Amino acid sequence: MNGRVAITVALVALAAALLFAARPHEVTADERIDQITTELRCPVCQGLSVRDSTSETARQMRDIVAQRVREGKSSAEIEAEFRAAYGDWIFLSPPVSSWSGLVWLVPIAAVGAGLLLVSGRLRRVETPGPVEPSAPQVAALRERVAREEATEG
Amino acid sequence: MLARVVRIAAVVAILGLVVTLALAFRRDPHDIRTGTIGKPAPAFTLERLDGSGKVALADLSGKVVVMNFFASWCLPCTQENPALVRVYERYRASDVVMIGVNYQESRDNGLAYVQRMGMGWTTVADDDGRVAFSYGVFGPPETFFIGTDGIIAGRHIGPIDEETLVTAIEKLRGQAASR
Repeated sequence: MNGRVAITVALVALAAALLFAARPHEVTADERIDQITTELRCPVCQGLSVRDSTSETARQMRDIVAQRVREGKSSAEIEAEFRAAYGDWIFLSPPVSSWSGLVWLVPIAAVGAGLLLVSGRLRRVETPGPVEPSAPQVAALRERVAREEATEG
Repeated sequence: MLARVVRIAAVVAILGLVVTLALAFRRDPHDIRTGTIGKPAPAFTLERLDGSGKVALADLSGKVVVMNFFASWCLPCTQENPALVRVYERYRASDVVMIGVNYQESRDNGLAYVQRMGMGWTTVADDDGRVAFSYGVFGPPETFFIGTDGIIAGRHIGPIDEETLVTAIEKLRGQAASR
């Protein structure tokens, strides 16, 4: 009994902790700066985000983002400013709504086409239905039945 | 029927890929079309490297502007400099304005480089890199061509040669004359 109570209490505590962690809360300025700079590509690096890069260029970009956040600009407005200068390339994850979104859509379309092809092939391989016996087979069967009846009779 | 549709789709996809690659490989890698091309040049006011005042893009309205981002630590910048000097001498008395924007460098180093390399055109300091970002600069050297209408007509990434400079400038002058 005590064991059950302990487990119940532990589960309730776990659920409460999860709910507390997942509660909607005001995103701080630093969190917003981190979110935005994580999405931005460092122009002078190889596949590094502005947040992760230690280059001077990335540092200057972080300063710009921080300043824009302080000015009260929304994340969309800040991202639009970088997009206006560099295009969608500046984002590590290309937006789905633009041409570069094909990077996301083409593999999905390819998988879909493959599944259609496979299902089409599978449908064509039909299971064989009952086959009508040929005349010699029918004759042989009749002869066999007659023979057995004669033996029994 | 379904298999036929899929087969046609696959052929179309492969053809699309081939056409895309063919077009992509034909493009000049120095001529990268980013968001700023065809749009108004971002305004700026920057201090001259020699400390003799400020330069605002708005003051250059009606002129063809060649904006070159450079730095003394950038080897390709030293390689392209003779072409820039020749083009500057060719157009210095005309309606063409050349501006060198010093990129990620102390003013002392930038000014010493300008004097050493014989850069007679206006050079300014972009201390915090804001102007470079507004133009979408990846790194020096990069050259932007701004028409008399204030629109960025083209950009060149990497060291530029005299022919490319003159061709771009003459195109913009021609457009200005035909207006």
